[in-house]
Amino acid sequence: MTTPTTTAPPERTVTLREIGPARRGSRPDEVVVALSPAFAGHFSKTIVDVPHAEVLRQLMAGIEEQGVTARLIRVRDTADLAAISHIAARLSGSGISVGMLSRGTTMIHQKDLARLSNLELFPQSPLLDAPVFRMIGSNAAQYAKGESPQPVPTRNDQMARPRWQAKAALLHLKEFECIEADRGPVEVEAVFGPGTAG
Amino acid sequence: MTSTAPRQSTGHQQSLRTEILEARAVNLDGFVEEWPEKGLVAMESDFDPVPSVRVEDGRIVELDGKLRDDFDFMDTFIANHAIDVASAEESNALPSAQVARMLIDPGVSRDEVLAVTRGLTPAKVLDVVKLMNVVEIMQGMQKMRARRTPANQGHSTSARDNPIQVAADAAEGALRGFAELETTLGVLRYAPLVAIALQVGAQVGRGGVLTQCALEEATELELGMRGITAYAETISIYGTESVFIDGDDTPWSKAFLAGAYASRGIKMRFTSGTGSEVQMGNAEGKSMLYLEIRCILMAKGAGVQGLQNGSISCIGVPGAVPGGLRAVAAENLVASMVDLECASGNDQSFSHSAMRRTARAMPQLLPGTDFVCSGYSSVPNADNMFAGSNFDTEDFDDWNTIQRDFQVDGGLRHVREDEILQAREKAARALQAVFAHLDLPPITDDEVVAATYANSSNDYPFRDVLSDLKGAQSVMERGITGLELVKALESSGFHDVAENLLTVLRQRVSGDLLQTSAILTADFVPLSAINDPNDYAGPGTGYRLEGERWEQLKKLRHVTSSTNPETEVG
Repeated sequence: MTTPTTTAPPERTVTLREIGPARRGSRPDEVVVALSPAFAGHFSKTIVDVPHAEVLRQLMAGIEEQGVTARLIRVRDTADLAAISHIAARLSGSGISVGMLSRGTTMIHQKDLARLSNLELFPQSPLLDAPVFRMIGSNAAQYAKGESPQPVPTRNDQMARPRWQAKAALLHLKEFECIEADRGPVEVEAVFGPGTAG
Repeated sequence: MTSTAPRQSTGHQQSLRTEILEARAVNLDGFVEEWPEKGLVAMESDFDPVPSVRVEDGRIVELDGKLRDDFDFMDTFIANHAIDVASAEESNALPSAQVARMLIDPGVSRDEVLAVTRGLTPAKVLDVVKLMNVVEIMQGMQKMRARRTPANQGHSTSARDNPIQVAADAAEGALRGFAELETTLGVLRYAPLVAIALQVGAQVGRGGVLTQCALEEATELELGMRGITAYAETISIYGTESVFIDGDDTPWSKAFLAGAYASRGIKMRFTSGTGSEVQMGNAEGKSMLYLEIRCILMAKGAGVQGLQNGSISCIGVPGAVPGGLRAVAAENLVASMVDLECASGNDQSFSHSAMRRTARAMPQLLPGTDFVCSGYSSVPNADNMFAGSNFDTEDFDDWNTIQRDFQVDGGLRHVREDEILQAREKAARALQAVFAHLDLPPITDDEVVAATYANSSNDYPFRDVLSDLKGAQSVMERGITGLELVKALESSGFHDVAENLLTVLRQRVSGDLLQTSAILTADFVPLSAINDPNDYAGPGTGYRLEGERWEQLKKLRHVTSSTNPETEVG
């Protein structure tokens, strides 16, 4: 992990500035985006090297183009995507959230659903690219408005296993190490910058 | 972005040879460094427990360095149900090298080995197999496999959940030699129709083939109880308490489910495999093989006859670390050396490299296992709803050739085109009749023709999916059983297929398929560790590919005649 095998072009970076404890929102026109412990922190890109800056930019643009506000939080005490997403849904004024792990795995959740249920799940992180993140944002916003959007088309690649399964396990273990037990979710602001390398 | 896109160039000038190597399929596979502290290690870890056992008053009070008060529920279950308390202290006192030698020594019978292994603790089993290289593991498997005759299992699924496709491919798969056929769904509500199609198609191809439909546990059990399926294997178990709890399960709940199948005389096995715990982030710092050995002993303790293992859906994890495939071969051996049926993996997409895919199967194919693949895709991998297998329909001729090259029996054979077409057509016709009899959405003659000549789901007319789903629901609501299928086949002129299915159903009354490693021959004779025990005792003994079966396996698609070299035989 210490020697990069590829030289990426300069790309945008993002850091998350903590604002304070995450609160329950009252605006019915918001989607809460919940980021995992290592997102835009210990890690800077997804399993297939999509920069977290790009992930957030697309997701927030997808939400905002529907006239809905995106509010960001970081969940610190778990790396379980269902838990992260459900915590966020319960804090969301609309009851809708998007939860994300550092490697890219994403879920749209709703506060009245069971924790292990969801509105849409995108389990195959290697297949998620910028346009998909934008569509996920857009769909989450449409749910927030009480609409019933067509689910984002899911992709499937049976050869994702030999290429990515072990790396996914490794990333999951690292994300686990970034868990801070007993620390509640915090409201964060995305600070975008011009990065030097990926 | 596709996951299989080639790696990006570094920007530096590369040698032409490096460019060629970079373009090789094997470099699309993922490889990672070990991380033993987190359990990302195959089988050699300083963090695995040291073997120990202590018995007091007929009860195990210490297991692999832990006192009973500190047992988690896996330790408790294994100590209470899996390990033979009477022989535990004596067996564990044997040097591991001695037990390893017994495993490979043709002069020591399988039963003599079992008398020792039934008392071993998980850490002791690991200590034994860690001494063995992959050739020794294969030699051990050759002797310890429970059933004398090896077999194979196929996947028969459809990307469109098209029942006609599943019936036709099941018939072809049965004809080619699969002793078991398994299906699953994209749209789960389709399950009753696809399970019926699999059963009917299989009994057309070769009477006595056993079928199962992988679903959530309650529906899978219900289809089994109704006799629409004949066995079950997708009952997953895990090597750590935390992963078990994550799935809202315990060893006792799994054992209860196993009991439900046994109560109806239905064959079943559990499923586990290296890598699942670390994949879920809860390996508790133990090696993949140590945790898998706990699963194997848990299965033994639950009283099930067998296990599907060999990493299965987590094969990308051991496949990415050093020595991973040695560990996978070892986990198959451990299942066999504690007298469980072993359906030995080779059932999930594993590598982009054809060379690596083939090599991965050698430790199972060469010594023979109860089921060399626990799911060879008997449909094109694009139709494989188990997310792709290590082998698919395109590999049939390669597989048959490898069997012929090495004179090993991997359970399949070459079948002539005319026989295949006949079986596929008959399966589609039989299903057409069954659907008509049960007032399910009709199957057209065009669909029958398509089924006869098709390769993949793309070669079939579209079904009216909503009608099919209503039909599927009505199968469940009307309480349709295997016997209804027999009646439907009989009354529509498919007497032989009806007989085949009825005979398979009758097995659940005799309970013969509950014996270890049971399959049914074409004459409906149960072949299991009871009446076909592995009697390998060195060169010239045990299962040998010879006689009529060897003559069958000498046939390939193209073999030049020695009598008249201007023609081909076959």
